[in-house]
Amino acid sequence: MNQQSSEKNAVSNSSASATQDGYLVIENVRKLFDDFVAVDNVSLNIRKGEIFALLGASGCGKSTLLRMLAGFEKPSAGRIILDGQVLNNIAPYDQSVNMMFQSYALFPHMTVEQNVAFGPKQKNMPKAEVARRVEEMLALVQMESMAKRKPHQLSGGQQQRVALARAVATSPKLLLLDEPMAALDKKLRSQMQIELVNIVERLNVTCIMVTHDQEEAMTMAHRVAVMDAGKIRQIGTPDEIYEQPSCRYTAGFIGSVNMFEGKVEEDEKDYVTIRTPDLDTPIYVGHGITGYDGMNAAFAIRPEKVHISKEQPEQKYNKVQGVIEEIAYFGSHSVYHVRLASGAKVLCNFVNMRRWDSENYTWNDKVWLSWDDSAGVVLTS
Amino acid sequence: MSGLLHSIRKRLPGKQWAVISVPYIWMLLFFAIPLAIAFKISFSQAAIAMPPYTPVFDWVDGHLNLNLNPKNYLYLINDSLYVNAYLSSIKIAVISTLLCLLIGYPMAYAIARMDPATRNIVLMLVVLPSWTSFLIRIYAWIGILKNNGLLNNVLMWAGVIDEPLAIMHTPIAVYIGIVYAYLPFMILPLYANLVKLDLRLLEAASDLGAKPWKAFLKITLPLSKAGIIAGSMLVLIPAVGEFVIPEMLGGPETLMIGRVLWQEFFNNRDWPVASAVSIVMLLLLMFPIMIFHKSQAKEMESKLV
Repeated sequence: MNQQSSEKNAVSNSSASATQDGYLVIENVRKLFDDFVAVDNVSLNIRKGEIFALLGASGCGKSTLLRMLAGFEKPSAGRIILDGQVLNNIAPYDQSVNMMFQSYALFPHMTVEQNVAFGPKQKNMPKAEVARRVEEMLALVQMESMAKRKPHQLSGGQQQRVALARAVATSPKLLLLDEPMAALDKKLRSQMQIELVNIVERLNVTCIMVTHDQEEAMTMAHRVAVMDAGKIRQIGTPDEIYEQPSCRYTAGFIGSVNMFEGKVEEDEKDYVTIRTPDLDTPIYVGHGITGYDGMNAAFAIRPEKVHISKEQPEQKYNKVQGVIEEIAYFGSHSVYHVRLASGAKVLCNFVNMRRWDSENYTWNDKVWLSWDDSAGVVLTS
Repeated sequence: MSGLLHSIRKRLPGKQWAVISVPYIWMLLFFAIPLAIAFKISFSQAAIAMPPYTPVFDWVDGHLNLNLNPKNYLYLINDSLYVNAYLSSIKIAVISTLLCLLIGYPMAYAIARMDPATRNIVLMLVVLPSWTSFLIRIYAWIGILKNNGLLNNVLMWAGVIDEPLAIMHTPIAVYIGIVYAYLPFMILPLYANLVKLDLRLLEAASDLGAKPWKAFLKITLPLSKAGIIAGSMLVLIPAVGEFVIPEMLGGPETLMIGRVLWQEFFNNRDWPVASAVSIVMLLLLMFPIMIFHKSQAKEMESKLV
């Protein structure tokens, strides 16, 4: 209780520093359910107008964090500050934070129009203003022709549009998207991802989305936070997260990755070599690390950065021989599962540049795998 | 030849028809035929005979004679006793239904929000009294409500009142009895409806700026309309024709059509008037039953789409 009152006093401090950069500030937020730590000391700083994704497997605490932002759950510790205002003890109906639910949660007894009008009406807008607002929102999501329909008469994609229109109808400061594409089929999903981003950017509303689908997070968000066991593992732009994972968890969670566990042999300013039992020669990596000789490290490389050939490559380092064990043919590319002498399995993507290219390699072929010194990263945590 | 047999067999009722026909035969035997008999009797005249009314159809000189006698119905309209009894029955039933709704809705709501383990126990407690005889339960209320009954004794002992409240043999006792007896019929359909309510809708309403009571009025209440109608009908329809409760708990001034019916039938032995009374009561109850069915059909329709 004391803590809560002191939090209120501290509002003035943070509002002064609420710049473009810290529009939404999450400070050391924890959430406990009995003894279970759902969200563990999460701190985030989100810019105005940013689309930010919380990405993680189910049960990682991302939904709990989102529910705290919406006001449905109270943080056990820490503060949530939106536009200089501490949200911790404000009821959901008093905040300017709106959520688009995973199931959309459209009111089944109301028409599309009434659903969208619900928020503005609660804010006691004048009638004409409500009507104008509803019209504007339905135009935004291209649902004007469906205004008089009930939710059950709409397709999944249409319901999502209505849910979005309803959530932004009161011009919230923060828009929350809970697994926005989960209820849509795959084809519609990729189309709606782009459309949703366009709408959110047009409205210039700050947006936090929760998803377990990395593709969705990478296509839609400006920045992504990877969560695991209630903690944030890495924050970055989609390409940073993909190309420069900071730990084994992120590297393994985003996309597919080959990992070679080993020890740092030479730790120089502009390169590192890693001795691993999987390769005869040490792996040469063309970037420095903060570490020391002999420390445990993993070399991570994405399958599309591994080159496959029948002849031995000329380079001295970063090559290994193996046998093709499995082939996954995707049309645009093939993924070869290559078993090394050490027993480790390495995935290698091969882009089928010409027709029938995929026939060059077949099961049990002895092949060479190789990569550039800038193709992979060293992970120390 | 076999083709002909096949086409004949196709036109004959099949096995599935035998299954479907069971409820229809039941309805015919125990509902349609008795009703037709009552309807027929309502057009005859009382007579000292066995059965105590004049025949409606009879054969005279080889052709059928129809003696329709609408006098019983005119009698019902002209004698204010019957009109008053109908009106007072409807009034008592409507007020009881509203009371049941007021008490039953919060109860059903609370049960629907309980965790499933306690929920089942509480539901059991709601239904449990129905396992003893209706008559005995109403008798028990006499023991509670009479002048030197449980309620008055407790209140006087506690010093709340100086002299016993006269509840027994008043309309209040009838209301207490009806509300008590029919409350489970209000709670169960309401519960069945409220337990299905998607709580995320309430979260969505709250998220969009609706305070809890506003979310209740705008979301919970309209979505439980079907439960409210179903519960109200289950209370209203039997309450209109209720006989035991006004007979046992009510006083001479509680006029209900069930009692009038009983008197016509057993005390006056006027079967035709008694039949006419029951036919009119049935017609009066048709309206709420039709509303009930319409709302149910509407709900089914919206679910099918």
